[in-house]
Amino acid sequence: MIRNLLLYIDPGSGSYLIQVIIAAILGVAFYFRNLWWKFRSLFFKGKKDQPPKNDEQDV
Amino acid sequence: MTSKMSEPLHHPASYRDPSGFVFQVNGIYYRQVNQPYAEDYEKLMSSGLYATLVRNKWLIEHQEIPTDPAASANGYKTLLPAQINLLSYPYEWCFTQLRDAALLTLSILTQSVGQGMILKDASPYNIQFVNGKPLFIDTLSFENYDAGRPWVAYRQFCECFLFPLYLEHYCGIGIGKILTAWPDGIPVPTTARMLPRKSRFNPGALMHVHLQNMVKPAPGKSERSSFSQEKLTRLIQHLESIIKKLKPLPAAHSTWSNYYQETILSSRYLDEKQRLFRDFMTGLPFRTAIDMGANDGVFSLILAERPETSITAIDADGACIDRLYNTLREKKISNILPLCIDLLHPSPAIGFRNRERPAFNDRAGADLVVALALIHHLVLSANIPLRDIPGYFATMTTGWLIIEFVPVEDEKAQELIRNKDRWHQPYDAPSFEQYFGEYFSIGKKSRIPGTERTLYLMKKHQP
Repeated sequence: MIRNLLLYIDPGSGSYLIQVIIAAILGVAFYFRNLWWKFRSLFFKGKKDQPPKNDEQDV
Repeated sequence: MTSKMSEPLHHPASYRDPSGFVFQVNGIYYRQVNQPYAEDYEKLMSSGLYATLVRNKWLIEHQEIPTDPAASANGYKTLLPAQINLLSYPYEWCFTQLRDAALLTLSILTQSVGQGMILKDASPYNIQFVNGKPLFIDTLSFENYDAGRPWVAYRQFCECFLFPLYLEHYCGIGIGKILTAWPDGIPVPTTARMLPRKSRFNPGALMHVHLQNMVKPAPGKSERSSFSQEKLTRLIQHLESIIKKLKPLPAAHSTWSNYYQETILSSRYLDEKQRLFRDFMTGLPFRTAIDMGANDGVFSLILAERPETSITAIDADGACIDRLYNTLREKKISNILPLCIDLLHPSPAIGFRNRERPAFNDRAGADLVVALALIHHLVLSANIPLRDIPGYFATMTTGWLIIEFVPVEDEKAQELIRNKDRWHQPYDAPSFEQYFGEYFSIGKKSRIPGTERTLYLMKKHQP
């Protein structure tokens, strides 16, 4: 729930909603990416079995 | 603090945030913290966040002073921040400067969230370039973090940082032009319309621009939502990752890029000019200098070799300034501030009553002005009469001027008048010396060997 605060800048109509949507999309992408790396590590054990850091992701 | 103080002058740009304001007394800037911000300010200081940010050289350092020069009824504390020599604004920055400022904002946001606070705004005017790096200067931008609430300044961050960077990345319009037209950021619908269709295939642009443009809450419905620190962190990391990958569109439109590398005058001319320039600089008492039409900053770098100097390198060409800024970061040179300033259209005074952001010419000034290979462009290309130029330089320097006169016979000057059958007369060395003689006396004068050009060292007449 968003607290009713006195804000000095207008967050902009829809700006909270879009953050919720983007965070959800990123969450799903993150979930599948981890799943993919787990799956990959079954076949390439010992080699690059860590998911790339966030900087390297393409989403 | 002196015992006899002048009246406090409220800074005309410091009125938006009721948490406090900046004011000036006797030429020193202070920041007032107002009572309603007391709790957040104390948390900033006691949580260790301020110490961490200052240690990282991300946030401006301040000291609390015991007196209250502003004498405001609402005052809680008065801060004396480190003083900044020359303020610059986002519409004067090159692409990489705006990108570094954006990344600094996100780094500070991440650090703040980790220590229980959050940035309540994300304005690029909160950042100044000090010692070659961006520095966050608004000590009152931090507030208590409520993990259930998304970031209040997300839209502002997009409009002020992300969208100008995207427009430069996809369209190569020029940060300065964009942010001069939209000093408070480019609205989402405008950005969405300006970006090319291919940007829809980029996940970052698709989400932060095009999707954001489509999302509208139902009318009359308040925006209620649950959020979390994990979600916010993911959002910040995503913004960081896309901003790091953005690059300015290759500068096909750059007018002056590689001027010194490609010019047919090249090598020997440059060597001789550097030799004379160093000779003129020897023993010259200056602490600040402005290199006008600095190009890649070859001569700014020479000026900056002298310790304790502060150099401003200006050029209209964003690609040149971007390259200079990157060179400075690589070589860790901290006493040059590169800025995109077009002398024909220097940044105007903007904001409420035209008083929030002063014009460039009212902000800048130095002990020494350097104007190399510039005057022929002003007279022959821009049609500024020669007699109008010395007065301008005299307003920008307190003492010295190093200027190169390029006569009309010079091959570069000939290129400028190739399609012109007339230009402002007179334009010759005797008239140059006569007009400049009204404001300056000639200290040294030397022909650059192998050219028709002459380098002058001039001293401004003192009243």
